[in-house]
Amino acid sequence: MIYCAYQTLKQTFMEIINAEAKNYKLAFHGKGSDFFGVIIVNWLLTVVTLGFYYPWAKANKLKFLYGETSLNDDRFAFHGTGKEMFKGFIKALILFGFLYGLFFLFLYLKMPVVAVLLLYCGILAVLPIAIHGSYRYRMSRTSWRGIRFGYRGDRSELVKNFFKWIFFTIVTFGIYGSWLTINLRKYILSNIRFGDAKFEYEGDGGDYFVLNLKGYFLTLITLGIYMFWWQKDLINYYIDNLSVEKDGEAIRLNSTITGGGIFKLAVVNVLIIVFTLGFGYAWAACRTMEFLFENIQMEGNLDLDSLHQTEENFKDATGDDISDILDIDFVL
Amino acid sequence: MIRQTFCVFYDGKSSVPQNINLSLDTETAILSFETTTGQQIRWDIKAVSFTKKGTALNIACGNDPIQNIIVSDLHFIEPLTALKKHSNHSWYDMLIAQGMKIYLAIALVILAIIGLSYVYFIPWVAEKSVVLIPEEYDTKLGEMFFEQNMYFNTVDNSKTKALNLFASELNLNNTKKLKFTVVDSEIVNAFALPDGNIVVYTGILNSMKNYDELVGLIGHEVSHVNNRHSMKMLCRNLSGYLFISAILGDVNGIMATIGDNVNTLQSLSFSREFEHQADSDGYKILLQNKVDPHGMSNLFKRLDDHSLAVPEFLSSHPITKERIQFIDKLIKSESFQTADNPKLKTIFKALKK
Repeated sequence: MIYCAYQTLKQTFMEIINAEAKNYKLAFHGKGSDFFGVIIVNWLLTVVTLGFYYPWAKANKLKFLYGETSLNDDRFAFHGTGKEMFKGFIKALILFGFLYGLFFLFLYLKMPVVAVLLLYCGILAVLPIAIHGSYRYRMSRTSWRGIRFGYRGDRSELVKNFFKWIFFTIVTFGIYGSWLTINLRKYILSNIRFGDAKFEYEGDGGDYFVLNLKGYFLTLITLGIYMFWWQKDLINYYIDNLSVEKDGEAIRLNSTITGGGIFKLAVVNVLIIVFTLGFGYAWAACRTMEFLFENIQMEGNLDLDSLHQTEENFKDATGDDISDILDIDFVL
Repeated sequence: MIRQTFCVFYDGKSSVPQNINLSLDTETAILSFETTTGQQIRWDIKAVSFTKKGTALNIACGNDPIQNIIVSDLHFIEPLTALKKHSNHSWYDMLIAQGMKIYLAIALVILAIIGLSYVYFIPWVAEKSVVLIPEEYDTKLGEMFFEQNMYFNTVDNSKTKALNLFASELNLNNTKKLKFTVVDSEIVNAFALPDGNIVVYTGILNSMKNYDELVGLIGHEVSHVNNRHSMKMLCRNLSGYLFISAILGDVNGIMATIGDNVNTLQSLSFSREFEHQADSDGYKILLQNKVDPHGMSNLFKRLDDHSLAVPEFLSSHPITKERIQFIDKLIKSESFQTADNPKLKTIFKALKK
């Protein structure tokens, strides 16, 4: 009887401990040969359709990359379609057509200074709008166990902040750039939802500035060798300051990436790409993803079985396509 | 036949995994199961999408919310995917299912298409599109280049006058007004600008033995102007570069760099083609003016003698020996009349001083 009670007690106790510290595992399972197939078929269809397949090709690629990434053995999914991105692409083209139209109009009116200023300001103003739209679209079209991600940032707030930070960066001759990067990252990541869980980013512009200053000078002194360790510091500063939180429970992310690891990854990737005349790109990309995800550790007490669907569907890909045209990287 | 398996269901409202017993009726192609809350669900396999993730199969249904079932039982997956293939089979899946050999074959075919269009199609289009560019652009381009170039050179005014007089005695088939400039320099070279400006160095004038060689040189350079070779070259290079970076820009930086160098090499052979045209046009101008066409091949012999001193001249021109052979062949192939031109002879003498 006492033994029985002891067993029950022990079981309850273990359950509490289990509830407290959970195991999480991120992994990338994609094989280079499969990704190569996706790329080649995309390439074929893009050439055959004289480029019009591009949005569908992008959807295929993202579906593959997201689908091969798992959290606790359940895969992520990308639901965006070529049709959505094609519509977005057309809208983005119209926008750029308008900007260039203005540019040439003022050139025609013999006001080249106004024309150039308008074009630059236009593209600058489009940037935060593109970032906002891009995150809204990508997050809403990404899911895990059927639970959508979401981005809840406010567009006009982001535009206002963005211009403020850009202004500071210009008047400080670029020094404020570190704060710009971190502020932007903080704003965006803190507005990302994973169902009813919320992302948090705790970076600081000053720390980031020191990190870059150190990285820059050590890279100079070591004739570039320190570059890989600088890169490591930057990635780790991203991951280590990231967490997911819900109702007082949280998951903290932690990176185990080393400078040596990045060095090895980069050297082998370059060799693969050079010796296959670029065809090995698929394998190099998969190696990079695998390296990244196997080096992200997660710990905490948030129960991933308790997430709820809260984020709305958002199918307008215009922002994402503007980002594509401007060639800006999605992850900040 | 009814098949059954245990698997996990996500209802699209929460991330709680629900263990379900999934049944497949192979006759009607209907999937059915009961959720942990007791709800009965039936899915027609025509309405669901399959994604293979590792060894497991993900069955997704609906748009908002999306519900998922993850099946890992291989004995269940096989008949299920067979049924799905029967009902609808997308051509994209078909393409993706091809093996490595087919991928490589596709890659090679695309590369071949790109290569062929780069070598044949793009230059052709670029050259044809030159017609669309107004001649004013040629003029502007030439003027700009001339100003920059003459900044570092000294123009020989009296020889310039003489050369212009020399050219005015010739019928050059030119549509554009030509302007000749003699620059005082040891360089054995001459070049034509798109605005009709033809620059001749005293170095090449001094190496010539007879006036027919000078007619050959002028004929050659005028052909560059008449055929708008500079603009064609610019269009070809630019379109070649755009084409290469559009195709390879997406792939990666290394490929783009390789492509860039290929383009430079290619443009060298483009220019050889233009030089060849200028040679044969120049030859025609010699005949037209009743000047001895041997002047053309003699001119090349002078260049050959100085070839060590002027590597930049040879780099873009066809190998000098080949050019001499080409002209000699032309001379042998047709009969022609020549007449001594004392006026040209006199001016040539003045130029040689």
